[in-house]
Amino acid sequence: MKRSWWRTLIGIVLTAVMLFPLYWMLMVSITPRGELLKTPPTLVPDSVTFEGYAKAINDQLPYLGISLVVALGSVLVTLLFAAPAAYALAKLSPRGGGVVTFGLLVAQMIPGIVMATGFYAIYADLGLLNTLPGLVLADSTLAVPFAILVMRAFMEGIPSELIQAATVDGAGAFRTFRSIILPLSRNAVVTVSLFAFLFAWSDFLFAVILTSSGGPQPFTLGIYHYISNYSKDWNAIMATAVIASVPATILLIVAQRYVAAGITAGAVKD
Amino acid sequence: MTVKYSKAAGAGLLALAVATTLGLAGCAGGTPSEGGASTALTLWDPYPQFEADSPWSTTLDSCAKDAGVTITREGMDTSSLTSKLLLAAQQKNAPDIAVIDNPLVASVADTGLLASMDDVGIDTSDILPNILAAGNVEGKAFGVPVGSNTLALFYNKTILDEAGITPPTNWDELKADVAAVQAAGHQGIGFSAVGTEEGSFQFLPFFWGSGADLSELDSPEAVEALSLWTDFVSSGGASASVLNSTQADINDQFLAGDLAFQVNGSWQLAGLDAGDVDYGVVPVPGIDGGAAPAPLGGEFFTLPVNADADRQAKAAAVVTCMTDPANAVNWIAGLTYVLPEADAQAEQAKQSPELAAFVDAVAAAKGRTSDLGTEYPRYSEQLWTALQEAVSGAKTPEQALTDAQAAVDAG
Amino acid sequence: MTYARAPLARRRLQWTAWAFLAPVVIYLGAFYAYPIIRNILMGFQDYTAASFVTGVAPFIGFDNYVAVVTSTMFWPTVLRTAVFVVASLAFQFAIGLALAQFFSRSFRLSALLRSLFLLPWLLPLIVSASTWKWMLDKDYGILNAFLGIFGISPVGWTVDPNISLIAVIIVNIWIGVPFNMVILYGGLQSIPESLYEAAALDGAGAWTTFWRITFPLLRPVTTVVLLLGLIYTLKVFDVIWITTQGGPANSSQTLSTWSYQLSFGPQLQFGLGAAAGNLLIVAAVVFGALYIRAQRKRDAA
Repeated sequence: MKRSWWRTLIGIVLTAVMLFPLYWMLMVSITPRGELLKTPPTLVPDSVTFEGYAKAINDQLPYLGISLVVALGSVLVTLLFAAPAAYALAKLSPRGGGVVTFGLLVAQMIPGIVMATGFYAIYADLGLLNTLPGLVLADSTLAVPFAILVMRAFMEGIPSELIQAATVDGAGAFRTFRSIILPLSRNAVVTVSLFAFLFAWSDFLFAVILTSSGGPQPFTLGIYHYISNYSKDWNAIMATAVIASVPATILLIVAQRYVAAGITAGAVKD
Repeated sequence: MTVKYSKAAGAGLLALAVATTLGLAGCAGGTPSEGGASTALTLWDPYPQFEADSPWSTTLDSCAKDAGVTITREGMDTSSLTSKLLLAAQQKNAPDIAVIDNPLVASVADTGLLASMDDVGIDTSDILPNILAAGNVEGKAFGVPVGSNTLALFYNKTILDEAGITPPTNWDELKADVAAVQAAGHQGIGFSAVGTEEGSFQFLPFFWGSGADLSELDSPEAVEALSLWTDFVSSGGASASVLNSTQADINDQFLAGDLAFQVNGSWQLAGLDAGDVDYGVVPVPGIDGGAAPAPLGGEFFTLPVNADADRQAKAAAVVTCMTDPANAVNWIAGLTYVLPEADAQAEQAKQSPELAAFVDAVAAAKGRTSDLGTEYPRYSEQLWTALQEAVSGAKTPEQALTDAQAAVDAG
Repeated sequence: MTYARAPLARRRLQWTAWAFLAPVVIYLGAFYAYPIIRNILMGFQDYTAASFVTGVAPFIGFDNYVAVVTSTMFWPTVLRTAVFVVASLAFQFAIGLALAQFFSRSFRLSALLRSLFLLPWLLPLIVSASTWKWMLDKDYGILNAFLGIFGISPVGWTVDPNISLIAVIIVNIWIGVPFNMVILYGGLQSIPESLYEAAALDGAGAWTTFWRITFPLLRPVTTVVLLLGLIYTLKVFDVIWITTQGGPANSSQTLSTWSYQLSFGPQLQFGLGAAAGNLLIVAAVVFGALYIRAQRKRDAA
């Protein structure tokens, strides 16, 4: 339909404008060193090099693997902690729930560097430095409070009648949670998983403080092999970023299909 | 739907279990072995660009073998290195050897973290005093230089020939040259005026070249030095981007071929040789001629204090081996630094003419902390703040430097 | 159907509720309590680099806070932080909402394009911020080249002290739009079609429909988005640090970057940095609480 095509066109233009920096990143990844800083800048480089990609593919695959494991692990940990807590706050009215909610908000206000240096001390004592579970747990702290708040908002919209019906049928809280709440919160779960994945995927701070080379390091640290005190290998850096974006983009697109119309209304009661 | 979820949950839990097992396995093997076949030492350095097959790493391994130990090397960016060093010190698991940037050695030594070279038995008598001085606190050496680098004036031969000028020998000539190059339609001069130690580092040849002294930031000479820079920017001889460009960025601009002059360091030589620019090197000129004293750059091997004397002795042996000129020539080329011993320098100058210019510069160079010691970081911070304020036009050079001196006095 | 709950049942319900909540409370205590308490303590101590090594960090009461608040940097930094936060939030939200509204009507490729909007978040900040730094360069940047087409002379985005704050705000807005868009989109999806149909029958135009129906029904989600946006924006560090490093001449320093510089800059004054960081957290708590209270009042009205 004509109307639909207009929208698609505008949509493409908007997306293109928003993603222009990514286009620039792509261009830098294939521009030879000597051409990077020329006046005036051109939209397409005069000559092209794939050295950066060669280096990135050679060096970065193990790091990308670690990134993937850490990000997925972080999603799992986030859901494990967040979903039950969100349910409790949304539907079970625990006494002191308001305090917990406030605590969740304050938890997010702590600057990252404070968290990271704090974790270093805890991890050093527990022997969690330079370990995969340690990094997964640390990255999960980026998402858990956010996840609880968002999931709670969505869960509050689940009609109480459904829950009471289940209770009358003799279902305990856990059964209700598993059989009714979770399936109905599918969209919230996916949304939250998306953000948890993204937070962990692009984390640099926890990785640099809590791991050392030889340990599990994500690609955000792998990139620093191309950054020294004196020069930055931009081709390789951008090539790594481009390559890293591919699997993550696929995951994103697949996941977004599940965030379809019909996310239940959430009245946010603080 | 419920079935799908529990399957996913099951898979997820399995993955987590696997990951945990892997992690625990890694954890168990990760701690350095106390006892066992040979001691495993750790070394932290700011050269993340060096891979396991680089001369730096391989020389390190062979030195370790000679000392009867194995060594695990970690390369990371400088700022992370300092932070992690402090954190590790707090947890009492500092590395055995830490390679840190020379202006920080005095401050780190002041915390009591580092062992003095006398205490660990490292011989520093061959090292040129001006280079060693950067790592001294109250006359005691707390580190051994990896090597030195310093700044010089690079110029694009093609552009200079085209404009019919020769490299400058004093400031008047420098100003004239830059103007001539601008008139010929090219970019004049590039330097870094960023708000970090790098900015101060870059400014020091001009600061000292005017006759100014760090202890007096607002002297008339200092004002004249700062005015040189601000005039370049306001006249278009230098781009306003110097405020945000690191030395690496300036070098990239130079490599692009349109920049006539750049103030940069010996470490750029390898990259420049690989590029297309026909370049030359002269010392940064002093205001009335001669070579301006340039600041010493480069890192130091340092040894955090270790209760285990045997471990410390082995670490010292590794450092001595690495800094032995016979070994150092293996890895120094990767950094294009100048070695800190007189004989070794002569050898380097013979091998490479471009480096020869830097060897001379290093001989005349000054350590940044030589005069002010642990006070240097404070002065430097005010100096680069003044730089930023003046070059950006927020304040006049005089005002900026007066305020800088006042801040130092207050603080 | 309501039924009276016996006290025992009510207590059992509380136990169940807390059973669900306990893991998170432990998690919060283990992971967040320690760093924040450590930071609070550090703010009261003379904590320098030497303290890491020797463990000596004498308590000096409020001296750090006094030093921070009386520093010449303090009030300008606070002002800059306020401008940064307000401008970022306003534009992120407005653009995010406009985009969400645009995408709310499904059209060809809309799902794909919507997912692509999240791409900026896939990139480590070192990559996206550095790319922006280039694009904003005065001489080599594509933005000035683009503006030059319209005859605008090159703007010193990252090098002019009067403009550097605007530059980092622009980058921050770009990074924040996807977050707003995705969540607001979710909120928009939950508004029943029937309401729109009724409005259309009544002859309401697009603007009226938006203000009378969409926006009010979106309020719960708006609250979450703005509150979280406020908290996150106050914390923003990497974006500014990589783009301008707080410069030139401290013209783009916010409380967050300044706190970092005090701790990890050449001074290595961790006590001062912690004090500044704590002030930041206090500001976040205060504004967060004020915002929640204002929302509650409006909901009750």
